[in-house]
Amino acid sequence: MEIGTILSNQQLQGDYREVEFYAPEIAGSAVAGQFVHVRIDERRDCLLRRPFSIHDVTPEGGVRVVYKVVGTGTRHLAGLNPGAVCNLLGPQGRGFTAPAPDAVPVLVAGGYGAAATYLLARTARTGGVLLLGARSAGDVILTGRYRAAGFDVRVATNDGSLGQRGLVTDLLAGVEADYAGRKLFFYGCGPHPMLLALARYLQGRGLAGELSIDHLMCCGVGACFACVVKIKDGSAGGWTYARACHDGPVFPAEQVYLED
Amino acid sequence: MVDLTCRLGGLVLKNPVLTASGTFGYGAEYHRYYDIARLGAVVVKGIRLTPSPGNPTPRVAEVTGGMLNAIGLQGPGVEAFLHDEHYLPFLRSVGATVIVNLWGTSIAEYGEVAARLEAEKEGIAALEINISCPNVKHGGVAFGTDRKLAAEVVRTVRRATSLPLITKLSPNVSNIADFAEEVVAAGSDMVSLINTITGMAIDIERRRFKLANRTGGLSGPAVKPVAVRMVYEVAQRVSVPVIGMGGIMTGEDAVEFLLAGADAVAVGTANFVDPEAPLKVLAGIERYLERHQLKSVSELVGAVR
Repeated sequence: MEIGTILSNQQLQGDYREVEFYAPEIAGSAVAGQFVHVRIDERRDCLLRRPFSIHDVTPEGGVRVVYKVVGTGTRHLAGLNPGAVCNLLGPQGRGFTAPAPDAVPVLVAGGYGAAATYLLARTARTGGVLLLGARSAGDVILTGRYRAAGFDVRVATNDGSLGQRGLVTDLLAGVEADYAGRKLFFYGCGPHPMLLALARYLQGRGLAGELSIDHLMCCGVGACFACVVKIKDGSAGGWTYARACHDGPVFPAEQVYLED
Repeated sequence: MVDLTCRLGGLVLKNPVLTASGTFGYGAEYHRYYDIARLGAVVVKGIRLTPSPGNPTPRVAEVTGGMLNAIGLQGPGVEAFLHDEHYLPFLRSVGATVIVNLWGTSIAEYGEVAARLEAEKEGIAALEINISCPNVKHGGVAFGTDRKLAAEVVRTVRRATSLPLITKLSPNVSNIADFAEEVVAAGSDMVSLINTITGMAIDIERRRFKLANRTGGLSGPAVKPVAVRMVYEVAQRVSVPVIGMGGIMTGEDAVEFLLAGADAVAVGTANFVDPEAPLKVLAGIERYLERHQLKSVSELVGAVR
């Protein structure tokens, strides 16, 4: 546990915000895909911690989180000023593995899932591809940072207000064609249906990748079995529930069990 | 210097702070934060004969002052618990005092699980019979809300083991003290209470249940006054040791349970908020004893006037 002092907490775009905690222990050991489990409010009406993907870390000990104001916890977080403190647990979970030197990382993100894959892009130094799907143009975030990291950014929106109209998975075939002959390694983070569609695509074509996948989280340490996801195993049913916070949240794409 | 030793009949614990089953995994999950051998006892998540997948997700929902859960007793089964390095062998290796919570979908299964634990009981201090989980369709609370069935489960487990027996009681009954009396008469050496209170939460925008299981068990600070009242009622009725739990977040909360008649306490939902919660509860009890110039925890037990 580390007490994180808020260095900045500002609007990124619309309801999306970015907070930076001074938490040198977490900043020094975090890898892309891991999360911090934040106790936002010590009062009892907002009891549980909230998990946030680590967006970025700084050499000065900063831990950056991108979040969207969606409920009690995030609303309270949005109201905290620099100097306020939060109790942080982290870095938690298993993160993404770095891409092999000869592989092109293809990050497939839905909505603010793009926050979780950014550290991978910034540290990859080889460039790569970001496929970002969102509801509407206002939900397309962080693309400037990915372009600055040398990434080929391609966008799909449900309403067609930015980029291609449709789903982020509609962009996969184009990337395969444009990068033909190159070894691709996929990374996914986003809403559950998007991740299942991505896993189905990758498994169907024998493509390698890793997906950050979870369900509503509670303890964040593997004790309560709330955030379980279906992972393939050798049992009769073909799957077992793995704890996202403890065994994940990042799982190999080929291990993700495809529900009907 | 205060004496924190806790005597629960023949079961002697180094202190009166336990973990509530289902909130502490199998111990290893929290050992990376502190030495779990410092706890009075680690009460592990419910164990049955075979592995169980548990319920579909979402399994938890935060509510005012607490949370609902419907995990559904996901677990590895008794053989993996006894032999897999993550479970009992790990707990033995760190010297933790272990209480195994057990359940079944039939009375016979309770007996079989108890017999397997009895056969390899090195490192097991006691068994806690779970007849109160509200989140499984077969077993759990079905046995804990019928006095005859509850007694039958306890008698069956009693025949299978010589380990100290704790029966964890359900608050989802009209008179919990009647159940306490019944399970003690059937051979339970002590009782623990309360398990969660059945509840429900609805997402009004989506007009859907917040839990896949529709109902779940309420825990956290919201249930504490109910739990304190029930501990008081049970302690008034039975003479065996009582382990009290339900929304304990601080040492002061724990003292309230002790005053109501609990001989020991268990920390549950607070573990999810602060991994070090049980140690902080223990330190809080110690500070209270010093502040009131008491030498031992037992001086507090049932001392409410």
